Amino acid sequence: MVDVLLHVEHLSKDFTAANGLFASRLGTKVSAVKDVSFDIERGQTLGLVGESGSGKSTIGRCVIRLLNPSAGTVELNGVNVALLKGRELKDFRKQAQIVFQDPQASLNPRRTIGELVREPLVIHRIGSKAEQIERVQELLAIVGLNPEHINRYPHEFSGGQRQRIGIARALALRPQLIICDEPVSALDVSIQAQVLNLLKSLQDDLGLTYLFIAHDLGVVQHISDQVAVMYLGSLVELGQVGSLYGRPHHPYTQSLLSAIPIPDPKEQRSRSRIILPGDPPSPLDPPSGCRFRTRCPIAEDICAKEVPQLVFVAPQHFCACHFAAPNPIPLA
Amino acid sequence: MAEMMNKSNHLLELDDFRFFFSTKDGLVKAVDGVSYTLDAGETIGIVGESGSGKSVCAMSIMGLNPTPPGQVGGGDIRLNGQSLLSMSEKELRQIRGNRIAMIFQDPLSSLNPVYRVGKQVGEGLMIHQGASKKEALRRAVELLDMVGIPNPAKRARDYPHQFSGGMRQRAMIAMALACDPEVLIADEPTTALDVTIQAQILELMQKMQQERGTAIIMITHDLGVVADMADRILVMYAGKPVEYGTADQVFYRPLHPYTWGLMRSIPKRTLDDDQPLTPIKGNPPSLIDLPKGCAFSERCPYLRPQCRHGRLRMQQVDEGHYSACLQSFESSFLLNSPRHDSEAAGADALGAVANGGAAQGFAQRGGTDG
Repeated sequence: MVDVLLHVEHLSKDFTAANGLFASRLGTKVSAVKDVSFDIERGQTLGLVGESGSGKSTIGRCVIRLLNPSAGTVELNGVNVALLKGRELKDFRKQAQIVFQDPQASLNPRRTIGELVREPLVIHRIGSKAEQIERVQELLAIVGLNPEHINRYPHEFSGGQRQRIGIARALALRPQLIICDEPVSALDVSIQAQVLNLLKSLQDDLGLTYLFIAHDLGVVQHISDQVAVMYLGSLVELGQVGSLYGRPHHPYTQSLLSAIPIPDPKEQRSRSRIILPGDPPSPLDPPSGCRFRTRCPIAEDICAKEVPQLVFVAPQHFCACHFAAPNPIPLA
Repeated sequence: MAEMMNKSNHLLELDDFRFFFSTKDGLVKAVDGVSYTLDAGETIGIVGESGSGKSVCAMSIMGLNPTPPGQVGGGDIRLNGQSLLSMSEKELRQIRGNRIAMIFQDPLSSLNPVYRVGKQVGEGLMIHQGASKKEALRRAVELLDMVGIPNPAKRARDYPHQFSGGMRQRAMIAMALACDPEVLIADEPTTALDVTIQAQILELMQKMQQERGTAIIMITHDLGVVADMADRILVMYAGKPVEYGTADQVFYRPLHPYTWGLMRSIPKRTLDDDQPLTPIKGNPPSLIDLPKGCAFSERCPYLRPQCRHGRLRMQQVDEGHYSACLQSFESSFLLNSPRHDSEAAGADALGAVANGGAAQGFAQRGGTDG
C-alpha cells in the first residue's frame, strides 16, 4: 500500500498584478500556478524544477499555507490544509516546515542562534525553558554545529553554517514534511555538498519527507526520488528520477537536460545541444493551449488550440504534451 | 613558472601578479602570485569559490580595483608585452572598453537605467573611435542584431528595464564587442540566468569568438561552464593559484587535492547515483589569517607535515600542467584523484541521454526504469 503524505490536486494560485491605483478593480490576474497535481510518499523526496517564474516557489508556499491557494486541494495526511484555521492551522505548522534559500535573510541578526532555533518551541509551548534549551543543543548537534555556540549571533557563522541553523530551526517541531526552497543555491560548491549530505542523512534518520525546490538539475537528480518539471506555472512532466532524466518525454524537459553544461570537456564537445529560442513568455499573457508552444521546436497547430493534459507515458511517469515520446525533439 | 614567462609574445600575460587590500584587521592578499597567458581566439577559465580572488584578478586587468584600499603587491600584467600597471589613467582609458572589454554577472546593475540601450551600446564607439552620435546608433543597432535581439532598431530605443535578463546580457555582450576588443573578460556571465538562457549566451559567446578571434577570460564557479568554454583552466583558492593546465589535463588528470574536492562535490550525472557526495570539509580560510604553508592544508585530507612549511609555488608537473601541491609529483599520491574513482560511474549517462543515439542504447538497457 502506498503511504501518501502529501497529496496536491488541481492546485492553482492567481495573483493580482497590482500595478497602479485601480489594478485590483481592473483585476489583471497572473496565474502563477495552474492546475498542478502530485503526490509525495512518506520518506521520499520530490524535486520541483523549473526556471525563474515557473511557479515552483509558489507551490511550496501554498503547500505550507504561507499563501492561500486560489483553487484545488493540498492534503497532508489526508487533511485539507487549504481549509485550516486558528488552532488547527497552528497544529499543522508542527507537521510542515520550510528551509529558505538565503540563510542571511531568514535569520534575525539580532537574535542568538539559540533563540532562533528555540523560537518554534516557545511559540508552540513545548516543554519548560530548560527542556527547550536542551532540545536546541540536541538540534545543533544533529545538524553538525557545536552546541556550545548557542549564544552566538548569525553573522558569526559562514553561509553553510547559517543554512544548518535554518535546518535546525525547521526540525525543532519534529515535522514530517520539509519544504526546501533552493536550500543550496546560495552556497559554494564544496559547502553545497556538505548541506546536501546533511539533508540526506536527516531524511534517513528521521524519516523526513522533502519537497525540494531547485533550478539545478544535477542537485535535484542527486537528492530526489521523483521529479516534477514546471514551465510558466504548469506541470509539464512528472516521473521517477531515473525515468525522467533517462527518457524525458516533454520537449521542454529534454531541452533543459541538454542545456546543462556537463563538467567533462570531451563529453561536452561531442554532444549536440538543443538551444531553445527566445525567453519564456510573460505570465501576464500566457500563450493559448500549451504554454511552452512559443519556444517549442516541434509545436504544431493543435498546440495553440488545446491545453495538453498530464497523461501516463511510462510506469510512474506522466507528461503533458500532445507529442509526448522519449526524447521528442529529433537531433541533427 | 619562470620558464613560461620569458616569452612575451602573448596577447595578455599575467606574471606573478599580486593585489592586496589594506583593512583595519590587516593586509588581505586577495590575489597572490597569479600567472597565466592568453592568446587570440583562446579561452581561459578561471575557477574558484567566493573569495578565491578570481574577480579581483580580472578587475585588476581592467584597472578597476579602487586604490586605496587596494594596492598592487607585485608582478605585472602585460597586453602585447606592454605593462598595464605602469600606464597612466589616461592611457588605461584608451584600453578599457576598447582593447579589453568586460561583461559582468548582473547586467541590470551594469546598465544605466536612465539611458536607452542603443545609446549605451554605441557609447564606446563615440569615445574610442570618434563616431558621430548617428553613426554610433546605427552601429549599435547592427550589434544588437548580431547578438540576436529581435527587432533591433526598435529595441535600441528601449530602456534596460524593458529587456529580459537574457536580452540584457546580450546587450552587454553587444556593448563589450562594440570596439572589437582583443580580450573579453566575462565575470560569471551566466550565473544570474536560467539554464536555457545560459545555453543561448554561451553559444553566442562561442560564435562571436570564432568570428572575431577574441580572447576570452571566463570567470565562473561552474565546472560545467568551463568544460564547455575553456581551452585552459586556472583553479584558484584563497587568492592563490593551485592548478593550471589545459581543460583536458585539469579534468582528466587533475593534480591538486582542492580540484579533486571540487569535482567530488558536484553530484555525478549518473542515473543510479545514490552515493553521498564527498564534500571538502570545513570552510575556506579567512584571507587575513591564512594557515602557514599551503592555504588548503586545513581542509586537505592528504595533509603531510611538510605542507605546513614555507611558501608553496606552482610547479610544472606535466608539459604545461602546473600544481601548487607538494605531493603532485608522486604517482602513488595521484591515485587518490577522483579520476580513479570507479571508472564505470564516470559514464555520465546524462550526456549519453542528450545524444539521441546513445539514448536508444539506454532505452534498451533500461527496462527497469519505472
